[in-house]
Amino acid sequence: MSDKTKTPKKILLVDDDYDLLEQNRMLLESKGYTVVTADSVESAWKTFKDEKPDAAVLDLIMEEHDSGFILAHKIKRDAYGKTIPVFLLTSATMVTGMKFGVTTGEEKEWINCDAWFNKPINIDELSTKLEECFETRSM
Amino acid sequence: MEEIRPKVIIIDDEKGLRIGTQRLLQSENFDVDTAENGLTGIQMAKDVDYDLAIIDLKMPDIDGITVLKEIKKARPNTVCFIATAYASYDTAIEATKLGAFTYIPKPFTPEELLRNLNAGYERRILILESERLKREREERLLELAFEKSRLNTIVNSLADGVFVVNKDGELVLFNPAAIKFIELNDIILGERILGILPPKISELIEKILGNPAFENKTLSAEVELKPDRGLVVEIKCSPVPHPDGSLAGVVAVLSNITETKKIEYVKSQFVSMVAHELKTPMAAVLGFLNIILNPELKTTPQQQADYLNRSKNRLQGLVEMVNDLLDISRMEMKTKQRELKELNIGEIVKGTVDFLELELKKKGITVTSKYQENLPVFKADNNEVTRLFTNIIGNAIKYNKDNGTIDVEVYTNKNYIVTRIADTGIGMKPEDKAKLFSEFFRVKNEYTRSIGGTGLGLSIVKRIAESYSGRIEVESEYTKGSTFTIYLPFTK
Repeated sequence: MSDKTKTPKKILLVDDDYDLLEQNRMLLESKGYTVVTADSVESAWKTFKDEKPDAAVLDLIMEEHDSGFILAHKIKRDAYGKTIPVFLLTSATMVTGMKFGVTTGEEKEWINCDAWFNKPINIDELSTKLEECFETRSM
Repeated sequence: MEEIRPKVIIIDDEKGLRIGTQRLLQSENFDVDTAENGLTGIQMAKDVDYDLAIIDLKMPDIDGITVLKEIKKARPNTVCFIATAYASYDTAIEATKLGAFTYIPKPFTPEELLRNLNAGYERRILILESERLKREREERLLELAFEKSRLNTIVNSLADGVFVVNKDGELVLFNPAAIKFIELNDIILGERILGILPPKISELIEKILGNPAFENKTLSAEVELKPDRGLVVEIKCSPVPHPDGSLAGVVAVLSNITETKKIEYVKSQFVSMVAHELKTPMAAVLGFLNIILNPELKTTPQQQADYLNRSKNRLQGLVEMVNDLLDISRMEMKTKQRELKELNIGEIVKGTVDFLELELKKKGITVTSKYQENLPVFKADNNEVTRLFTNIIGNAIKYNKDNGTIDVEVYTNKNYIVTRIADTGIGMKPEDKAKLFSEFFRVKNEYTRSIGGTGLGLSIVKRIAESYSGRIEVESEYTKGSTFTIYLPFTK
């Protein structure tokens, strides 16, 4: 949870589903974060450059099936972007029972993100992970 | 049954003997011809396949030995007798050497003659029987050779690859398709091939060869011979037994299943896409409910009502999507019973516009229409065609601007009934137009944000049009409007 004495952390939230975008914004804001949103890869990149968020939470499947991956890679290759945590959201788990996880080094290289979350998100788990990432980075 | 009478020719210049012998033999049930000199005799024996020939040794024109030679040359199976009053040991020997059955000294008693002729006739029957057997055997050999080459031709013509290895792993048979599949152009019979075959194929063969107590079991596997579904074959290996039941080798059959694999892949892609499309609205509903039920978030009753309404819309959309998917699946499986009727496209389009009147009024859209008179009929299922036009005109309303217009025109062009539906709506960018008929594709921009849809409507339209050998074309200008033109072949 973000410390109230500090400036609230700014999260870039990207999803092309407006309902989900609004829900997740509300949940993140309830945890004290400032949220900037985008509904496409294009506008997300622009917002990322303009706003320099402290973290990015991206929907995996936007207009194309790999938009989330591509955006994650793009952010991670950016000089500023590589310093912030990037989370991916997926709906695959609920349907397929498949559990995503980024564990091996190879996976980390291929899937350029710090954590996966299933939709709808559990905001407590997500904010705990965010804080963990912020802490690691400030050390 | 008619009795078979032995056919005899008597060649003798002595008339009394000729006639006497003829009468005697006829009374004994022989069929008898006579010739009064050597040359006539030869000619007759050449023309008719006599069973027996009695040849006088001394005749005025040519001698009996010459006649015998000539007859034997033409008819080797005619049993010949030399008859003579001038019997000598030498002539007897010579006649027999030349093929005479025996030698009858003149004068002969009827008993002597009959005994000789009967023995000769028995011989003749034996000769004919052995000839028949020989012929039959030759025919069968020929058939066998033909059968083998026919089998080879068939095996070589198979689209499936076939090859056989013996139990030492040596190639003993293959057809061209097998070589094409496994790309071993230089392979020759007798070569040990287990080491050079794709490993998965060798493994199967070795599994059978390595099991001496093999059961009559076929092992199969799918092998991708070229990556990314470039060439996928199914291989089936079966043991080939010796007549005594021991293992002789393995026969492998390779079938090209690339197309099936490609279809399977497209299907699984589609399933994962469907899963995602179903999951997203469910996640949205679940998300709203979680928010309403979460006391920490302290949502107001107004917010709650908004979220419940939005949840309801998402569920409504989900139901529509499931219905569309079921329609697509029925079309794919062709389980939908079509009721083909002669339809008037103009009337269907008119009916659809009337049906959508409420939607048109809500947005203040004006429809202008022009229907060609005496339109030819289109033979199709009324429900399907109505569905096609409902989707197209529905889109023309949904994606139109408030107080816009829709121009409808139905006319014939060549073999088609053409329906042109032009709207003054939001239009499309070229890159969106290209993906328009793909399942689940929906244009996403500031205009479409608030418009609901499953992303399946146009895919259904395309399927219906194409299933009647029709087609659909789109012209569009972003922010200006779109024109859909549907071509359906009319029934002549």
